[in-house]
Amino acid sequence: MKKIILILSTIFALGLYSCSDSFLVVESKSSILESNYYNSAERLYSGLVAAYDPLQWFDYFYQYNSLNMVSDIMADDIYTGGANEGDQPILVKAHFYTATPTDVPNMIWTTAYSGVNRSNIVIAKAPEIEMDQALKNLYVAEAKILKAYYYNILWKFWGNIPYYDENLSFPYICDQMKADEVYQNVITLVEEALTANVLPMKARAGEEGRITRAMAYMLYTEMVLYQNDESRFGKALQYMKEIIDSNEYSLVNDFKNIWEEAGEWGSESIWEINYISEGGVRDWGNPIATGGSVYPVLIGIPGYVGNAFCDGWGFSPVAESAYAMYDESDIRRDGGILNFAKHADQTGASYTARWQDTGYFLLKYIGRKNGNHGYTADPNLNYGNNQRIYRYAETLLNAAELIVRGAGSGDAQMYLNAIRTRAQVPSVSATLDNILEERRLEFLGEGKRYWDLVRSGKAESVLTATNHLYRTENWTPQKKYWPIPQSEIDKSAGTLTQNPY
Amino acid sequence: MKKLLTLLFLGLSCSLFAQTVKVSGTVTGSDGTSLPGVYVMEENTTNAVSTGIDGTYLLEVSVGSNLVFSYIGYKTQIIPVTGAAVIHVILEEDSELLEEVVVVGYGTQKKSVVTAAIAKVTSDDLKNVAPVRIDNALKGLTSGVTVTSNSGQPGESARIRVRGVGTINNSEPLYIVDGMPIGGGIDYLNPSDIHSIEVLKDAASGAVYGARAANGVILVTTKSGQKGAVRVSYDFTYGFQNPWKEYDVLNATEYAILMNEGHLSQGKAPVYSDPYSLGEGTDWQKEIFNYNAAQINHQLTISGASDKVNYYISSGYYKQDGIVGGNFNRSNYERLTIRTNTTYNLMDHSTKRNFLHKFTMGLNVAYSRSTSFGITTNSEFGGPLGSALGMAPTLKVYADDPEALLAEHPTAVKDPRNGKPFSIVEGSIYNEMVNPLASLSLPGTKGNSDKFVSNFWGELSIWDNLKFRSSLGIDLAFWGNDGWSPAYFLSTKNFREYSEVWSSMNRSLVWQVENVLSYEKQFGSHFIQALVGQSAQSNMGQNLRGGNRYLQEEDPYKANLGFATGTQEYQTAGGYVYTPHRLASLFARISYNYAERYMIQATVRRDGSSNFGPNNLYAIFPSVSLGWNFTNESFLRNRPDWFSSGKLRASWGKNGNESIGQFKYTTTMASRNNYPFGNPGVVNIGAKPNGFANADIRWEESTQTDVGLDLAFLRSALTFSVDWYKKRTTGMLMNIPVPAYSGDSAPTGNVGIMDNSGWEFDFRYRFSLGNVHFNIGANATYLENLLVELGNENGWQNYDSHKIGTLTRAQNGYPFPFFYGWKTDGLFQNWAEVEAGIQPNAQPGDVRFVDIDNNGVINDDDRTMIGKGMPDWSFGFNLGFSWKGLDFNAFFQGVYGVDVYNVTRRTDLYYINLPSYMMNRWTGENSSNKIPRFSFESANENWRASDLWVEDGSYLRLKNIQLGYTLPTHLTRKIFISSLRFYVAGENILTFTNYSGFDPEIASGGTSLGIDRGVYPQSKIYTLGINLTF
Repeated sequence: MKKIILILSTIFALGLYSCSDSFLVVESKSSILESNYYNSAERLYSGLVAAYDPLQWFDYFYQYNSLNMVSDIMADDIYTGGANEGDQPILVKAHFYTATPTDVPNMIWTTAYSGVNRSNIVIAKAPEIEMDQALKNLYVAEAKILKAYYYNILWKFWGNIPYYDENLSFPYICDQMKADEVYQNVITLVEEALTANVLPMKARAGEEGRITRAMAYMLYTEMVLYQNDESRFGKALQYMKEIIDSNEYSLVNDFKNIWEEAGEWGSESIWEINYISEGGVRDWGNPIATGGSVYPVLIGIPGYVGNAFCDGWGFSPVAESAYAMYDESDIRRDGGILNFAKHADQTGASYTARWQDTGYFLLKYIGRKNGNHGYTADPNLNYGNNQRIYRYAETLLNAAELIVRGAGSGDAQMYLNAIRTRAQVPSVSATLDNILEERRLEFLGEGKRYWDLVRSGKAESVLTATNHLYRTENWTPQKKYWPIPQSEIDKSAGTLTQNPY
Repeated sequence: MKKLLTLLFLGLSCSLFAQTVKVSGTVTGSDGTSLPGVYVMEENTTNAVSTGIDGTYLLEVSVGSNLVFSYIGYKTQIIPVTGAAVIHVILEEDSELLEEVVVVGYGTQKKSVVTAAIAKVTSDDLKNVAPVRIDNALKGLTSGVTVTSNSGQPGESARIRVRGVGTINNSEPLYIVDGMPIGGGIDYLNPSDIHSIEVLKDAASGAVYGARAANGVILVTTKSGQKGAVRVSYDFTYGFQNPWKEYDVLNATEYAILMNEGHLSQGKAPVYSDPYSLGEGTDWQKEIFNYNAAQINHQLTISGASDKVNYYISSGYYKQDGIVGGNFNRSNYERLTIRTNTTYNLMDHSTKRNFLHKFTMGLNVAYSRSTSFGITTNSEFGGPLGSALGMAPTLKVYADDPEALLAEHPTAVKDPRNGKPFSIVEGSIYNEMVNPLASLSLPGTKGNSDKFVSNFWGELSIWDNLKFRSSLGIDLAFWGNDGWSPAYFLSTKNFREYSEVWSSMNRSLVWQVENVLSYEKQFGSHFIQALVGQSAQSNMGQNLRGGNRYLQEEDPYKANLGFATGTQEYQTAGGYVYTPHRLASLFARISYNYAERYMIQATVRRDGSSNFGPNNLYAIFPSVSLGWNFTNESFLRNRPDWFSSGKLRASWGKNGNESIGQFKYTTTMASRNNYPFGNPGVVNIGAKPNGFANADIRWEESTQTDVGLDLAFLRSALTFSVDWYKKRTTGMLMNIPVPAYSGDSAPTGNVGIMDNSGWEFDFRYRFSLGNVHFNIGANATYLENLLVELGNENGWQNYDSHKIGTLTRAQNGYPFPFFYGWKTDGLFQNWAEVEAGIQPNAQPGDVRFVDIDNNGVINDDDRTMIGKGMPDWSFGFNLGFSWKGLDFNAFFQGVYGVDVYNVTRRTDLYYINLPSYMMNRWTGENSSNKIPRFSFESANENWRASDLWVEDGSYLRLKNIQLGYTLPTHLTRKIFISSLRFYVAGENILTFTNYSGFDPEIASGGTSLGIDRGVYPQSKIYTLGINLTF
């Protein structure tokens, strides 16, 4: 009897215990709560790595949007390609200037804003963490430049975009900012990050891919030139000179080798987006897993039979006019473009032509045989070719252009000569037009041509239907900004105004 | 009167020597009115008569026997015959029917004063249905509950919905067994142990369970002993199961004809030169069904009660082989249950004092162990039934040339019954489909489950009727599965090159502590019942699994991880620990009635759950219900005799659904947001929060109004109830639409609204004609569901899909979910009709689709609602009678106003077998206006997701029919048996339906009811049984 009463009193006591609020507070057995996470340098670093992660998504995130390809197909040297006119409509429409709010590369928008969000987290969480101050400043600076890089992409493609410095909370609506104001905000952000003076000029061994001062300078100059912000030309030139004078970078003589796997992160490379094939786990169902890239297969030679390259899908064929614009001796011609007829002569290889085929392929990025070695998931999604974003060659040409446009003192001709010499062609005088033409020759297929045409005002006269083999519409200034994705307009409760594409 | 009788006794004492006596008399009720139709019988004989209109009777009986007077609604009386010639009898009204008690949450209430909508199923009702699992048992027994079996596989559960689908998320009702909430399946409970099931349908009855009651509550009470001598009973049944129907598919000749047409449609030459020479071919369904599969049930119960102790001990063993795969050990279910329910009256000094006068204690312990094998039940991708429907009848079961087959594929599967290798279809024309017998011959994964549910409570009477009850409930479950596979070759798409073995183990523990203080008292005409209580529950568990390859030998007895030789790279291991889930609640209820005429009840419960965030930690659920026994009013006192009682009731309340998932109010960190640095790149680990948090997330809430009328006639022999209800669920969890520029995935918010309303009818009539006792029961439910607001960005979302397209959809303004596709309007009979139409890719014999949005083009926007899987009407009725030792019962159950999406056919595989209705295809002008011309592909996409696939799923099933005979007691008493009953029964004997597939009752596979991808049908069972009571 007594024992029973004892048991019952225990039950009653258990009942009382459960009356406190703490009874209902449970801790997850399998994950860490955000509120408990950011409390050390390692954890802040993991947050920073997550901010780099979206860089890998552009080439495939349910849409094929490799940044260089998407802008190049809007210019004159690269066509869309693929199976036929109906293959990948968002690319075809961008190519023909007929994009619509429902057929536009909206995954670029989603990826870039994911990057902005993750960068903002690092910047917001850093102040409260107790860690080495210098390291903290470094991480914050990297996050700021990354954020600026992502906003740069959004600003160039869409112009009038929602801009925010702190991540949104309910109801997750942000006002749209005009393109010029976006520029002001982003350029200020870059200046702020650079003032802290914590970024190394060149990445240390083992850290290739991290934001460096050189990369930040290049981003700054790219934006300043695109905006034609003459008030900042001087600073930009100063930055370019700093890179040149640091002697950390130099042109690679064997141009062709820049693009091979052995040539990744060479002496000319300022910044690349890393892709790896060894252990690459990217899969069609999991496109944001870490691994390689599908872009080399996308633009690969369709139906290729031979030993040098992989079988591909024939996108991004190089225009015949682009091959023809080079001098015969220019090593950039056959170092950047594959002349298939020549290749067939030498090796007996063959291929099956697809839409807009020209017989010329972008040697810089087409997949090499076994370029996906060591992959563990999908063989097509794990090619290890890094995306070369900034090369030292661009530093020299930027400097030359800025000097010619009156940004400051310096020897523009010397810079131009260095490029011409490396390319093994005779020198030309350093005029603005020559420099722009040189950029075209140097950066074929690297996603610079379209922006150069737009910023220099030449787009309207160059990108016409008559100049083009396939286009029926001309480029107009309205085409500068793509239509904002319809799903965004629908979800933003009327705060987004559509671009006049 | 007494003196007269005594004199008569004395006077007739000399006639004691006489064998018989003619007895006569009048039977009256306690108010003096004579009772006609009373059954007067000499006990244990067929000698009987009924009283006349004036209540008189005359019967010649043997002296020394007993006269039995019985009458519906009155207490039976047995009077010894000692020689008196006149025996007048006064019968007392049997008010047990009115004093019938209903279990409500945390207590009981007299049925006459219940104001909420509660449906009750008794053990007698269950006996007529003889179920294996209680969720299947509730089918058709009561209104308001829609039960759809997932499939006919042994041990398979059912999908239960109380008053409709409450939410797009978790719509499962709450199961409470003896006060303990049970999760993880109710099949551990042996239905023979059930005393009653109460379904709490409206908000007022469920409010006492607060945050878990939004989808209804099913209260189960298990049996206890009855006062008197020890009762020992043993029941045994043996059943034969067969499929009740086979799917009508083509035979070899018809198949060859259609394949030839298919080839011609593509411009190729026909395949079969002489289809008629092929005859019938292989009937794969006949090959695969396990005819006369066995079902065995043993049940032993010992129970009894005395003043001090009340005990009930039972043990049951159940085994069922499936009609598909049961003979290959691939579809079988076995369960052992042991239960002991004991109550101890430790102290009862009620007669001596009114203070701490009574103390009772109880302990219920139930253990259940089950093992099972199962096959894929509802899949078009290679489940054995799907393959049996798809395999061409021109294929043989066994290989034509066994040696050649084994030479090419040494791991080809052989029939375990005779060693012959099964045929293999070369190439990949069948994709994942394979010889179904071969796939059944491979070993299956064995599931196992051990569950202990125990409840320990003590109740102390503190003062007068003030009682305090404290209870502790525990649910400890262990379950897992073990499986292995040899190397095998079934087809080029389905093979395994090495043997593999795997195993997983889970365990979980739920404990619940409750303390309740209750009081009830009658003050004159006022009656008050009040209680206040506290409840706390905690739920935790874990899982561990592993696998390896390369068994030393392919021996089923040795197939375990210890026997595998795979090295580290092949060994897999994994597992997880659940984050605990806790609930803490306080509740109170007060009921009041005045002279059992006016009733009111109010309940309130405050629930805290670990799923809720700090912003909304506690939820409060109130409810109120009113009742009016209008027949107790003075102005109805002189109502006609046949109108026994009537009650009008109404209720309103709120319930909640706290199964919203854990940590939704905050964010957890997600890893695998990595990026490589370095040259060559080395992956660095990145982490970020898993989406946006919604700190204000709360439970889903349902508000319900119910109005009901209960009527009883003919001394409660005939009862009728009708209920109308309207239930609105608000705050349904859904991802709220957030622009992509916010940079992360959308948070969940309480944004959806769903409405359910309907009517419920229950009817029961018990009457006697002579010495035959009848009982009839019927119930019907009408349900209307409307998804008012899905809450996401565009107000719609697609759910289930198939190769032919999206099958179901949720959309604002429609029932949830519904079948979605194109509407058809006959076929194009000739080119003129094609030209007049708007389908440019069509040719004669193709399907004409309806242009719903009238824009001159047939495209995705022309899809609309083409049916739904949740029935409009569910009903059941039973007829039973008993006459002397014979008893009979038939139970029908059905649904009406429901559709089935029959997608058993794979349109992507050209050479599969087809349903017989394909013979009615179009072959020329006006040959058919429904089934289009047969072709492998059609530019017009004839077989896209349209109403061609949707069929009427209404059915009426003779669910159970039972005929039993109880041997006369005077015979059985000689061998100490108090009752011996033999019976034959049939289950699913007759099904009336227009549905062409295996079974119109489908709830498995996907989020919706009614999608048939090759469902495992219910079986038709013939059973023999014995009930023995000592």
